[in-house]
Amino acid sequence: MKQGAFTTGKWAGWPALCFVAIATALAFGGLIGFNRNEFDWSYFSDPYFLAILRFTLLQATLSALVSVALAWPAALALSYLKDSLHKRVFLSLCVLCFVMPTLIVITGIISLLGRSGSLSPLLGEDWNLYGLSGILIAHVYLNLPFAVRTLYLRLQSIPDASWRLARQLKLTRMQRFLQLEWAATHSSTWLLLGFIFVICFNSFAVVLALGGGPKATTLEVAIYQALKYDFNISEALALAWVQLLIAGSAFLLVSFCGKVSWLSPASAPTQLRPTATRPEALAYRALYGCCWLFLLAPLLALIPRVIDGAADMTFWSSLSRPLLVTLGLGAISTALSISLAYSALRPYRRARLQGSSTALWLDWLTSHSLAVPAMVLSVGLFVLLLPHLDLDHWGMWLVALINGLITVPFAASQLKPALLNFDSQYHRLAQSLKLTSWRRRRIEWSYMAPAIRTAAAFVAMLAMGDVAIYSIFGSQDFVTLPWLIYGYASTYRLTEASLASMVFLGVCGLLIFYLEKQSPRHA
Amino acid sequence: MHHLFTRAVSFSRLAHSLIAVSAAAFAASASAAEELTVYTYDSFVSEWGPGPALEKGFEATCQCDVKFVALEDGVSILNRLRIEGKKAKADVVLGLDTGLIEETRKEGLVQPHAVAFDALTPELKWSDKDFVPFDYGYFSFIYDSQKIKQPAQSLQELVDSSASVIYQDPRTSTPGQGMMMWMKSAYGDQAESAWKKLAQHTVTVTKGWWEAYSMFLEGDADYVLSYSTSPAYHQVAEDKTQYKAALFSEGHVMQVEVAAIAANSEKKELANRFLNFLISQEAQEIIPVTNWMLPVRKGVKLPEAFDTLIQPKSIELTPEYIAANRKAWIKEWRGAVSQ
Repeated sequence: MKQGAFTTGKWAGWPALCFVAIATALAFGGLIGFNRNEFDWSYFSDPYFLAILRFTLLQATLSALVSVALAWPAALALSYLKDSLHKRVFLSLCVLCFVMPTLIVITGIISLLGRSGSLSPLLGEDWNLYGLSGILIAHVYLNLPFAVRTLYLRLQSIPDASWRLARQLKLTRMQRFLQLEWAATHSSTWLLLGFIFVICFNSFAVVLALGGGPKATTLEVAIYQALKYDFNISEALALAWVQLLIAGSAFLLVSFCGKVSWLSPASAPTQLRPTATRPEALAYRALYGCCWLFLLAPLLALIPRVIDGAADMTFWSSLSRPLLVTLGLGAISTALSISLAYSALRPYRRARLQGSSTALWLDWLTSHSLAVPAMVLSVGLFVLLLPHLDLDHWGMWLVALINGLITVPFAASQLKPALLNFDSQYHRLAQSLKLTSWRRRRIEWSYMAPAIRTAAAFVAMLAMGDVAIYSIFGSQDFVTLPWLIYGYASTYRLTEASLASMVFLGVCGLLIFYLEKQSPRHA
Repeated sequence: MHHLFTRAVSFSRLAHSLIAVSAAAFAASASAAEELTVYTYDSFVSEWGPGPALEKGFEATCQCDVKFVALEDGVSILNRLRIEGKKAKADVVLGLDTGLIEETRKEGLVQPHAVAFDALTPELKWSDKDFVPFDYGYFSFIYDSQKIKQPAQSLQELVDSSASVIYQDPRTSTPGQGMMMWMKSAYGDQAESAWKKLAQHTVTVTKGWWEAYSMFLEGDADYVLSYSTSPAYHQVAEDKTQYKAALFSEGHVMQVEVAAIAANSEKKELANRFLNFLISQEAQEIIPVTNWMLPVRKGVKLPEAFDTLIQPKSIELTPEYIAANRKAWIKEWRGAVSQ
């Protein structure tokens, strides 16, 4: 095949790919290389270690089970409702809830259910948010919308013909459920369980803020504590390895089984929906209402406190710097992540066009860091860089850099479909027109613009909400909004936490609005 | 220590002051004033803590700029020094306590001072060549006497009870560490099962003193680990007498808060002047009514509220003994309470 304009530079994109791979390799170098002789195996029989491992597994399993169990009826209810504005807003809210920085949710949940929370009096004397209950509530809140949206999209994909057939065959409700609804969603259900398990296994901010002491600590938090509380590097490394082995293999297993699609809009909205019986329809409406309440409650809970504190102008002005730091961090990470992902996908696209089997590997290489928890990557790099670099000085750059790196797979997954589309549609044309590489690139970019914007909004949100990487490398001269909110929330300064959360929520809301505007309407 | 009670705006002010402090640092580096970097804990430098007044007092005489770097709690200061090693920017570390002296010294993180202790109260019997004390107190559990009519009279009674308790993490905070010594001296080899018993009615273990005390004042627990001097704050600043320290028959662990010159500081002379200032009459009159601890200097006049405080029997643990066992005790604690 002629190396046409498109393929200028056989090695285009390789530097980016190598950069991503080398960063991981370096982190592993840190994990392996430090004080090898001092690696403390006895640690694995320490009752503390066993207790946190047990707790980590328990909370992740329960979070996954509860999220999916609740998402199922909600998605079903949603699929029986006619398309409407509020339903579309609801689906957007689902996206917002899943990608929204966790600290906002945590502040809302504390305002609702904490000691002085507005709902706490209803829960009796013994109610204590901190510990497993708080962690579960937050995890369900964050993951349920993701599950609802995924399952809903699957249910929407049941073809009209199937429903028609079901009607002709006069299938009972149960039969319809088994033959159509369950059949269309069961593989997604298992995948969701797996994904939510992995997400919650790696959860950091929620456990840090709502864990309430050593009884409810996860591996991820224990790594942070070993490093920052005890400066016990060998222990932090031992924990990081366990975290990597379990979270990494669970992730590989799940992603081997399939891919969850949740952001993509449903293809060809189905017109034909089965009619529900009256009581069933009522139940669906009630459920739908409950979902609205559930998703809005923690956000609405911020409002009274925001009104309380809104007049404090000194406080508002004290937010400006953290806000700028967060936005700056988000911008750098996003630019880095998008350009890395874009370039790193080049070798993959080349391989695809040439029908080479290396495509699979290249794809994997671009996204490999998904299997490496952010905390593990951070600790590895921290240990490696500590003797060589003034981390106090370079810390914030590292926060931006690592956030950029770990979001590469997310950016890639947003860019890839559009890029492949572009290649399949225009590659031959571009070749036969003998376009210069510059002109070709311009056409490609204008084609890719919406996908790039979506990816950027998505990545920015992830990077700005980061707490884990910041906890390792951050510096108090550059406090980010999430870390500030964590400080307020953990010292019960809920008014300040709510105000800061509201500002942050505003920023995220704008991004989501932007993100949703890019993609075609969801049915 | 750590007596920051005013709750509404403090954290934001703290964040604010940190920003102001770093901005000031920029400004100062432009001018010629020598800068003195002090690592301390958060409530020390908050608006209601001793930090601002001490800073003003010292800067009036030193032609220098004091820059506070605030960490969560006492043990965090040590951890920070360890993590930073030779890159630490501190000239002075302020807010370590007796339980950390030996470890800090052994790791070579501080250097000898040139401060004379003639003016110190003889009760302290202080003669350390590296560390200068600036206040002291006794760890105590504070309760609200309007809620609890018959407070526990011993640590054992508290552990055996079902009263809700909040204390601090010994890995990050000096009160938490004091609690650990207290449990160890009361229970010895039985400490593990005592920790487990206490865990049954522990609301939460917080990272620092501040979080714990805030939660207590919110009404989250019957008892909170703090200091025998804490009730004085409520009397002087808030005119409230219901908060009391429970007097325990086993005795109470004494905490002496200390400051020292960081090992790689090159501003030895300035740092020594700062340490001397810390135990001066001026500073020692500020500290008891801002940090709410007892002064280390003889003849400092205190508000009357201090006369009403409990006078506990002191449990003496040598810094060497604590340093030799601290890690093992922490392991025992976290193993017991994570079950």
